[in-house]
Amino acid sequence: MIGAFLNWLQHGFGKGPTPDGQSFSELLLGSLNFWNLLEGTHLIALMLFAGTILVVDLRLLGVTFRKTKVSVVSNAILPLTVFSFIFVVITGTGLLFAKPIFYYHDIWFRAKMVFLAIALINILVFHGQTQKTQGSWDADELPPRTARLAAAGSLFMWLLVIATGRFIPYNWYECGKPQPAFINWVEECKTSDKGEMNLAGQHL
Amino acid sequence: MSSINLEYFFPHAKPWVESLANIPPATWVNGPTFGYASWEVGHIVSLVLLGGTTILMNLRMLDAGMTEEPPAEIYRNLRFWQNLGIVGIVITGVLIGSANAVKLYDSSAFVVKMMALLAGVILTYGVSRPVAAANGAVALLPKIWFAIGGAIFLAGIWIFSTTELIDVGIYHLITAAALILIPVTRGRLRWAYLAGMIALILAQFIHTHIVIKPDDYAHLDPVNKVYTGLYVAWVLGTGMVTLFRGSGEGGGPLTKLVAYSTMLVWVLGAAAGRWIAFQ
Repeated sequence: MIGAFLNWLQHGFGKGPTPDGQSFSELLLGSLNFWNLLEGTHLIALMLFAGTILVVDLRLLGVTFRKTKVSVVSNAILPLTVFSFIFVVITGTGLLFAKPIFYYHDIWFRAKMVFLAIALINILVFHGQTQKTQGSWDADELPPRTARLAAAGSLFMWLLVIATGRFIPYNWYECGKPQPAFINWVEECKTSDKGEMNLAGQHL
Repeated sequence: MSSINLEYFFPHAKPWVESLANIPPATWVNGPTFGYASWEVGHIVSLVLLGGTTILMNLRMLDAGMTEEPPAEIYRNLRFWQNLGIVGIVITGVLIGSANAVKLYDSSAFVVKMMALLAGVILTYGVSRPVAAANGAVALLPKIWFAIGGAIFLAGIWIFSTTELIDVGIYHLITAAALILIPVTRGRLRWAYLAGMIALILAQFIHTHIVIKPDDYAHLDPVNKVYTGLYVAWVLGTGMVTLFRGSGEGGGPLTKLVAYSTMLVWVLGAAAGRWIAFQ
């Protein structure tokens, strides 16, 4: 069902009645410059998004802005983070829309989504629990252990999101290539156009 | 302009450039499966460090961002991390570049990236940081460095915007310049600025999708260039009003211009770097 939906999204959605017509996804991928602009904007927005998160996390770890209240740092920076996150999401969605089938069967994209989800859960837990007591440690040079753990977790997760995102274009584990059964399973290669192949080079 | 690249300036270096792929550090980088991509991750993480620290330090000098702290305090807290970001992009950039030397030798985008790097280092270390440390006051030496760094920055913009196949990348710089003005402008000016920008975007969309057919490249190209000029004029005009509004932190309009330029020069470097792959 997902495969049929992705196939429609990539090849059918927006396609005109003529046989040589292109879908919106194909038009985006084949556009002269728009896809390149999307990808470039994704990177530049990421610079701002992750860069501002990094500064807040460093404050929570007690390694910078130690004389400044945590709330002063986060209140000033958070609007920039949210603003840039909107750009990251819009451009990222555009990139996904251009090649949905490829991304769906890519192990790095799947890993990136998992790390992204964990990073967002970490933010929710921080706001929902740790931040409730912020009034008592807001001015502390070294925030409590729970806040530092949240910050360290955040830095680590965003690093993994960046790394797995950068690995996506590489075809090390592309479906249809000889690879371990685990990779074939994670990528659901059986349902992909290229199928699955074991390490002995046999199509399964 | 057709293309300006290192091959144009150093045509006899081609055999040496080609040999770089077979010697360290290129062999170290390209050897392991994850080698090249891992150094790319290091490059992006360094860009993130540089981006976060640069925007916070310089937005403050535009009276935005962390306004509860003086610029000198922000500089003092972020300088180490900014150093780390710049050293990181240089080291990882050299490693990635050595493994990819032939492509870079033939790339105009790479020339723009190197000019942006040089201008970025000059504007950051020679101008923005001393100005931030002095809470916005611009001394004579930073003024001289600003003239030198600014000239290299403008030359980079010129090459980027006039070289075939990469010229569209200038939209990254225009977009960044436009977006920075949103938190920096105040009151009615901000709303007027946004309204004008939205009107321009809508006009361009209607013009290039309804008035002219989207596949009519012969007519689209000049129209898009006119709109690009209008965007630049609108952003620059609003920027000029913003520069001369209010006192700024100590140095007034020049301080703000320094801050604005320093943020944009690194955007130019990042954008040009990405367009190396597209050229």
